[in-house]
Amino acid sequence: MPAYILQRLGMMAITLWAIVTLTFFLMHAVPGGPFVSERMLAPEIEAALNAKYGLDQPIWAQYLSYLRGIVTLDLGPSFKYPGVSINTMIATGLPVTLRTGLLAVIAVVALGVPLGIVAALNRNKWPDTTVMLIATIGVAIPSYVIATVTLYIFALRLGWVPTFGLDDWRGYILPVFALSGFWISFVARLTRSSLLETFEQDFMTTARAKGLHPGQVLFKHGLRNSLVPVVTVLGPVVANLITGSFVIEQIFALPGIGRQFVLSITNRDYTAIMGITIFYAAALMVMILIVDLLYAVLDPRIKLTSAAA
Amino acid sequence: MSDIAPQMWERLPPADAAAATTAPSLTYWQDARRRLWANKPAMVSIAFIALLILAAIFGPLFSPFTYADQNLRLANIPPAFEAYAVTDGQGGTTRFFLNASNFNLYEVDAEGHVLGLLRGERKDMLKKSQAFIFGDTTLTLDYSRLPARLVAADGTTISPSGWSWNRTYIFGTDQLGRDVLVRQLYGARISLTVAFVATLVNFFIGIFYGGIAGYIGGKPDAIMMRIVEIIATIPLTLYVVLLMVVFDSGLYSIIIAIGSVFWVDMARIVRGQILSLKSQDYVAAARTMGASTTRILTRHLLPNSIGPIIVTLTMLIPSAIFIESFMSFIGLGVTPPLASWGTLTSEAVETMRAYPHQLFFPAAAISLTMFAFNFLGDGLRDALDPRFRR
Repeated sequence: MPAYILQRLGMMAITLWAIVTLTFFLMHAVPGGPFVSERMLAPEIEAALNAKYGLDQPIWAQYLSYLRGIVTLDLGPSFKYPGVSINTMIATGLPVTLRTGLLAVIAVVALGVPLGIVAALNRNKWPDTTVMLIATIGVAIPSYVIATVTLYIFALRLGWVPTFGLDDWRGYILPVFALSGFWISFVARLTRSSLLETFEQDFMTTARAKGLHPGQVLFKHGLRNSLVPVVTVLGPVVANLITGSFVIEQIFALPGIGRQFVLSITNRDYTAIMGITIFYAAALMVMILIVDLLYAVLDPRIKLTSAAA
Repeated sequence: MSDIAPQMWERLPPADAAAATTAPSLTYWQDARRRLWANKPAMVSIAFIALLILAAIFGPLFSPFTYADQNLRLANIPPAFEAYAVTDGQGGTTRFFLNASNFNLYEVDAEGHVLGLLRGERKDMLKKSQAFIFGDTTLTLDYSRLPARLVAADGTTISPSGWSWNRTYIFGTDQLGRDVLVRQLYGARISLTVAFVATLVNFFIGIFYGGIAGYIGGKPDAIMMRIVEIIATIPLTLYVVLLMVVFDSGLYSIIIAIGSVFWVDMARIVRGQILSLKSQDYVAAARTMGASTTRILTRHLLPNSIGPIIVTLTMLIPSAIFIESFMSFIGLGVTPPLASWGTLTSEAVETMRAYPHQLFFPAAAISLTMFAFNFLGDGLRDALDPRFRR
């Protein structure tokens, strides 16, 4: 187990390095310097700006200093907001993104799994058809459509929830729903099919034949075995919740990292784009590692060994 | 023993020979076609997609408007309105409707064609009203209290004569007076183009990469799959965003961006298929007969793994459509005045309080298209992939 974790951490370091390198050179391949869009600068001022941000050095020197910054967890300054570091930008946005993201993950698990169980237990009866119909709709509709349409109906027309901001708890409802809608449906479908598959297994018949309580059969034998694929998708769920937050935070005007990222894109704030991308990547890899470890706890048949794949 | 009736001892006739043989034998494709044909949602989806493609190709040809034609005098017109009719002293009748969100009156004819903007007298800013003169009849538009109402000279409120569809702009117009229907159709063109081209690019890269990795195996396979693993760690949306920042936004960039990133799944599927197929006897037979690697791959291995490949392809189309509209929504997609469903939605969000119809149409279009491709994908998977047969 420790060897496995070490190996995974090594892989993560390599991946992160690849991402840093890729984003660095991609962002430096953008035609024009970071100050081109501003009004004509006097050559001396431009030279001074370039010197301040180290842009007068050869590209490999810039690359090395950027790498050095990453190792010391310093993502550098923003080019568009003087005096603001990328670290500050992330630190101010993180609580909002983390809160909505966490609520969305909770919604996915707390709604998706029970809906799947209900559907599987009532196979081909009306609860099953209803759940599957909703889930099919939920998988197809893009998150930004859910966000805008629910915003129109519940905030503008009915006035049940505020149109923007997170001042009270009702402000969270629509963003969290729009973020998690797809994954609630996905997890419900997955739980249903996985449970149905487990019901066919011999050990379920045995458990029932031994006269165990139906609840015990379902939760201890059925659910535990069918949750393995569900846990597997939780890694990608987190990943997609994070990227989904770009547009959701934009629509609901939430001051999170996703909105910060979209703003940096519109402002062409290259250091911010780079820094936030790298932050996302690192956060994601940690999440996926946690999910993989959880996986082994849930299913003892899976042995985490160094010989992956 | 005596309680067994004598006829119980009689011999049964031989089992029905015809019943023993089951359904006629079908080839893989005949079977798949049958299953798909029996799948109602999938068939409806195919019909919808075919209609959408036809509308996207030919629809704009039949429209008097183009996606970029602006008419600021006829901006934000709804797809349906309540018409009023006013008779002036000479017996002439003017039909018009009131756009309750921008307090303008638009002249219409009896069938619902929009004729133009009605010019009123100077607006009275203090009383929040504006007079409109029709011959010897004067109407006052009073918007001091909402909803705005039309008042006749004697102070009575005039009520509209009834609802009418907008015949000139069937889906209404946007905030620059562009026809929403034509922009929708252009949006469909862009979404479908991006989806099909990007999917094709993915198809070739994925097959090439996955095929080689699976067939060669060993060290190269391990290294190639490690690379895929590294790429797959990061959400693909992030890569597309990065690439779109580097390229200028536009149709070609987004096709390149999506095409160069989403092949990872395809490569994995193809590799898995090739790995499981290459130890089959017919491959060994082909090799013994001196077939080249290319021939074995293209003639034996790929055709036999085509089912899962097609399923993956159909599943890729909706995600490509989604990513394109997502990028356009956050301002990284196609450039204005080109319309994509994503840009249409994001433009509509700004005005959705007053003109919800601008939001409704693109949202419905993308949702229905996503439905159709999802159902089709599910149907194809059930039909083509033996693992999902019930």
